[in-house]
Amino acid sequence: MSQSSAQVILRAELLAWRHRLLGRGPGRLALLGVFMLLAAVFIGGGAFTVGAAAGRFLPVTRDTILAGGFTSLSVLMLVIGFPTVIATFFVGRELLQLVLAPVRPVDIFAARLLIAMSANLLISSILLMAALGVGVGSGAPLVYFPLAVVLIFVQVLVVTALQAILMSVVLRWVPARVARDVAAAVAGLSGAGFYLAWNISLRQSFSPRDHPDLTNFTSLVNHIEWLPSAWPGHALSAVIAGNTAEALTWVTFSLVFGVIVLAMAEILYRRTLLTGLGVFGGPQPIWRRSAATQAIAVARAGAASPFRAIALKDWLSYRRDIRRLSRMLPAFLFPIGYAFAFLRPSRSITSFWTEVFLVGFISMFMSTALATPSIPSERRGFQLLRMAPMTMAQVIRAKIMLTLPPVLVLTFAFSMVVATVSGSGLAQYAELAVLVVWLGIGFVSVGVSAGAIDPRFDASDDRRAVGIVGTLAGLAGTLGFGLLSVGSLALLVFGYTASQGVRQLGPIPATPAVGALMWAGALVALVGSAAIVITLLWFANSRLRSWEGAIATV
Amino acid sequence: MTAPASQSSIAVEAQGLVKSYGVVKAVDGVSFQVPRGEIMGFLGANGAGKTTTLRMLCGLLTPTSGRALIDGFDIHAQPLEAKARLGYLDEEPFVHPHLTGREFLNYIADLYRMPRGPERQQRMERLLGLFELADRNGELIGAYSHGMKQKIGLASLLIREPSVLLLDEPTNGLDPRSARLVKDLLEELAALGTTVLLSTHILEVAQALCKRVAIIDRGRVVATGTMEELRAQAGAEQASLEDLFLKLTAGPESRELIERLLAPTP
Repeated sequence: MSQSSAQVILRAELLAWRHRLLGRGPGRLALLGVFMLLAAVFIGGGAFTVGAAAGRFLPVTRDTILAGGFTSLSVLMLVIGFPTVIATFFVGRELLQLVLAPVRPVDIFAARLLIAMSANLLISSILLMAALGVGVGSGAPLVYFPLAVVLIFVQVLVVTALQAILMSVVLRWVPARVARDVAAAVAGLSGAGFYLAWNISLRQSFSPRDHPDLTNFTSLVNHIEWLPSAWPGHALSAVIAGNTAEALTWVTFSLVFGVIVLAMAEILYRRTLLTGLGVFGGPQPIWRRSAATQAIAVARAGAASPFRAIALKDWLSYRRDIRRLSRMLPAFLFPIGYAFAFLRPSRSITSFWTEVFLVGFISMFMSTALATPSIPSERRGFQLLRMAPMTMAQVIRAKIMLTLPPVLVLTFAFSMVVATVSGSGLAQYAELAVLVVWLGIGFVSVGVSAGAIDPRFDASDDRRAVGIVGTLAGLAGTLGFGLLSVGSLALLVFGYTASQGVRQLGPIPATPAVGALMWAGALVALVGSAAIVITLLWFANSRLRSWEGAIATV
Repeated sequence: MTAPASQSSIAVEAQGLVKSYGVVKAVDGVSFQVPRGEIMGFLGANGAGKTTTLRMLCGLLTPTSGRALIDGFDIHAQPLEAKARLGYLDEEPFVHPHLTGREFLNYIADLYRMPRGPERQQRMERLLGLFELADRNGELIGAYSHGMKQKIGLASLLIREPSVLLLDEPTNGLDPRSARLVKDLLEELAALGTTVLLSTHILEVAQALCKRVAIIDRGRVVATGTMEELRAQAGAEQASLEDLFLKLTAGPESRELIERLLAPTP
């Protein structure tokens, strides 16, 4: 039996995916397996437990939870999966081959849709576990479970198609010259809006009272329960309630809506495929700087510096790579959201420690986002650095020095705002400032090292620019350095309190001897945290020096 | 031009270079020398080991065994000294797609610590003009055609005047006028003392430009020398470089292959 074109395309994609996976070697595969298993146990297990608890103990809010879950999943997929959708539908030389081949656009669309769903399917597995948990907790009938799987799959399909529609609309009505910028702005702004609304609603729901008050959360979901994204949730809650007619109605609505969205996406994609390939297939020509301006900049006399060359090149490339920027924008929304969340002091933790955690979190987040991909993002240009008369240690140092300023500036800004809101004293400002610098240097060094340990120079997406070994090394380094650094600060502060004999520290006696012991512990922790960073830098340098291989054009 | 390290007459030297990937030997004991100021051709079929050898010579690949010397410096033992004297152009040039041509040349010049100033700017303008890229001022390299990328890659080598050039298919994708320009330029550079190791499939280019050629087949150098020496080695006095190449890298004759392809399927 002959295969359809869509099947042929999918088969080729799956084969390529299989080769990429197997090409990693048995060690990396085993690590990946362990990582996936841990993620499944902790994230999947956590979602299942929360769902089961909600289903068992909060029966009134079951519909709200399921409808809210489906809607938030849709938002999450819409923002996070957006770059994958752009890349799958509009970027890639193999698409040009498909356009030239006698393949119907509907086949290209169908095959690409299934491929583009991969990232979204991964995200949806969290909701799947939560929904299954709700079913188990509520004692739902057996039909609930396969229906949940089907509805979540349909939801992923619909959201992916919606993303394709969005891009097609942008490409159809926005001039090609600015299509990239508009797409990036749409993704960034929709993400910002949804995330902040969500975060503020959670802040109000879980403010420091004796019990969490879900009124705000439920009222927010009630306001948006008419959205098609919530319909599958209503269907599932109707199944739990034993209301077959209502369940069938919601399921029908969801499926009909899905078919309409898919048909629209196919029609629009067919009309914009070639435009999209032209716009997203490579960098846009720009005419922002005149030749005269460039010539003046070059003519300025002075010593040449490889460090400055890398800095300028990174700045220009980053600014112009809208695809990369559009991927970063949603990520940068998270620290803003969490800053909001952390501004609310807990009953058990003083505001100073809240600020310390905030500084740690923002510093770690910014470093991971900016420093980790800084070396792999050189892509084929890394070969230029290898051929240049400079050492890999110099490259690593340059990347650290370049990433440090934005991380420090942003962390300073956040921490000072929070410290001012909390009414911190001058001494605490100074402590925070020192912490910002220390953590910034450490986290950035760990991030750059992680990228250098296992770089994937041919990844077109920064999020996939570091392999599993680098990711694990980065995670371990970040955790170790962060915990030891904050632990050192804690020991320093508590040691001071103990040495003054002002306040008892639980069962620990407040004496000068205990204070001195704590200071010694602080010093050990500090040295330990520095040792982690130095070890990672050394490892990164040796890995980069021994790195060799061809880098494919992306 | 970057000053050579020593007064030795040999600018490029491969000493028993071997590169193994598991059990496969991509390059198997390649040795040759390129005297200073000479253009030497490096010929071979697809997959014969040309690019792997060039990448070992420029330091992108570490040899499994053997040494690669540039102006007397071992590229792996004294990388900074060797790299400062070397320019390598890959068949797919290494460029930054989000920089303009001028910005890219500036980047390379800074990486190699060429002092900034009017002199450097003039050289840059001359090169951009020479390769007809001057009017592509605001355009990003990512939007360049393959030939234009090749040109900016070449310009990025020439801006810093290396004493040794390793070129992998430098005329690949160039229009006839630009290809001619590159050939003339290489001859001029050689006359000024630059050493060029030129890997190409275009045998006419090799025959016209190169004083000597090395032919590599399945990872081994099967012949090295001038045209006359190769003819003597192959025992064919009137043979062209194409004939010699086909004879020295013997495989099935093309006529036989075509007959097999066009034969009716049983």
